[in-house]
Amino acid sequence: MTVIEIDGLAKSYRVYQKKEGIWPSIKGLFHREYRTVEAVRGIDLRVDRGEFVAFLGPNGAGKTTTLKLLSGVITPTSGTARVLGHVPWQRENAYRRRFALVMGQKNQLWWDLPANESFRLHQQIYRIERRQFERTRDELTSMLGVRELLSQPVRELSLGERMKMELIAALLHSPEVLFLDEPTIGLDVVAQYNVQNFLRHYQQTRQITILLTSHYMKDVAALCRRVVVISLGRIIYDGSLSGIIDRFGGHKVISLQMSNGQPPDVMARYGQVLAAEPPRIKLRVERSMVPQVLSAILAHCAVEDVSVEDPPLEQVIAEMFTHPNGPGGHADEGERPA
Amino acid sequence: MSDHPAYFRVLLLFARNSLVRDMTFRANFIIDTISSLAWMGINLAFYVLIFQYTPMLGAGTGWGKYEFFLFLSTTLLINSLVQTLFMANADEFSELIRTGALDFALLKPIDTQFLVSLQRIDWSSLGNLGFGLVLIVYAYSQLGYAPSPVAISLYLGYVLCGVAILYSLMITLAASSVWLGRNQTLYDFWFYITNFSRYPREIYRGKYGDPLRWFFTFLVPVLVVVNVPARFLVRSLRPQTLEDWFLPAFTLFAAVASLAVSRWIFNRALASYRSASS
Repeated sequence: MTVIEIDGLAKSYRVYQKKEGIWPSIKGLFHREYRTVEAVRGIDLRVDRGEFVAFLGPNGAGKTTTLKLLSGVITPTSGTARVLGHVPWQRENAYRRRFALVMGQKNQLWWDLPANESFRLHQQIYRIERRQFERTRDELTSMLGVRELLSQPVRELSLGERMKMELIAALLHSPEVLFLDEPTIGLDVVAQYNVQNFLRHYQQTRQITILLTSHYMKDVAALCRRVVVISLGRIIYDGSLSGIIDRFGGHKVISLQMSNGQPPDVMARYGQVLAAEPPRIKLRVERSMVPQVLSAILAHCAVEDVSVEDPPLEQVIAEMFTHPNGPGGHADEGERPA
Repeated sequence: MSDHPAYFRVLLLFARNSLVRDMTFRANFIIDTISSLAWMGINLAFYVLIFQYTPMLGAGTGWGKYEFFLFLSTTLLINSLVQTLFMANADEFSELIRTGALDFALLKPIDTQFLVSLQRIDWSSLGNLGFGLVLIVYAYSQLGYAPSPVAISLYLGYVLCGVAILYSLMITLAASSVWLGRNQTLYDFWFYITNFSRYPREIYRGKYGDPLRWFFTFLVPVLVVVNVPARFLVRSLRPQTLEDWFLPAFTLFAAVASLAVSRWIFNRALASYRSASS
């Protein structure tokens, strides 16, 4: 069943161009120059029930804007979207009871009060039946290991503990769709790992639909089978994480260990030398050239050991962001995982 | 299950959480209460001083010293209600817009205007309410009569109208920060407006007074906020002429109309809300 349907969704802002200095600032009082920023430029997407989808993209790509549009926080310039059959920006209560948005950069809990007080407020706002509320809360707090922190003022919690409380607040009403905007930002490795584990377990047992944005490739690799890459407000890839390397990793890395100790100087003509620590050498070679280059090297040099690897995922993605239409050419249509 | 939350229970929780929060910062709470009470005391002393020189605010207006104390108490009651319920919220609304924290309010399955207007109750402003009530009792003891039950109910009803009008003005101004980006003039504005509302209508007379009275009665109806309920407390000032009857009727209309207009503007503001960076 399709839970999220997005067609041609676009959002642009008019931004005041502020110039530096005093005199331009004064001029800006009378005459302002505006620039139109197209945050999202026509996105089409279908997400089925139970999918855990990652949104990847550089800062400013339009990931958060898309999540905000789907949450109904802002209204689009054009295009349509339906989540669970509702148009998000109509902000119907019936829709707002069925989803949640968690933003790692913002907090919604009352700062000076224990998290439990904010939870009780949610209970009333979402009209959660008392016993069900207590059961859900206790279950979530024990899963995330913050049960004994319930009555501690939020401002006295660590960042990781606070983030866990934010997650719990968002899940109290058992949403069917969850939008997570960088939920692990700023967390240490342990807390990150805990949150990942929790999310994976929660999503698997409840079969809810989750859209996640994150800059941590580890989050994405651990949680999402489907990855949607957004750059400059457009979807440039939609498929599996490993598929990104197949599509965008335009080269491979050949590592060689020479048996005569010293790699010959001529290696540079086979490919770009990434590292040379005799007797080891690493070459960057166009993917299509790998068979020829390998056979040429093996024919001419004494090689003790050889391996051919994909470049690291982070690197591929970084390159993809810098050249959105990069080696993959027209990359709008991505393959979907089965 | 109903589509709407239990608004009253949510309001009670807002009140409770705010109280718990205020109690956490006890010293701040006490200083807040004392300073606003002291400010009221100074105000009262000022009027006592004025009434040393004149028996009445303007000859024939009917506003003698103790009648005016009833008026002053009404100002106190209304202002303290508005400040307790809405002031901190309206002030924060502007920040919610600037920082993008309004996102969370928009996600909740509850009326956004209700949530934004009432989530922080400022208990320390309630001190003035007590002060006002004490002053009313004192003024009546000096006047030598008591208000009738009808007068009391009319009074309470019109106090609520006054609160509604001031709230509408406040939330409209706060909502305008969606378009202005930032609006920190709220407290200033509040001071200017209540400055006009805190004197009897009768003093706005003459070449400059008439236009002012007209403007602040019909366009920005702050002059009816205190004046209309206060007159119900004062026996000698009960409505007699046609205009006296017209004003209470108009006040009812003004309360409903300003609530409607402010709600319309609030919703327009939400539609223009663009959130802030991540």
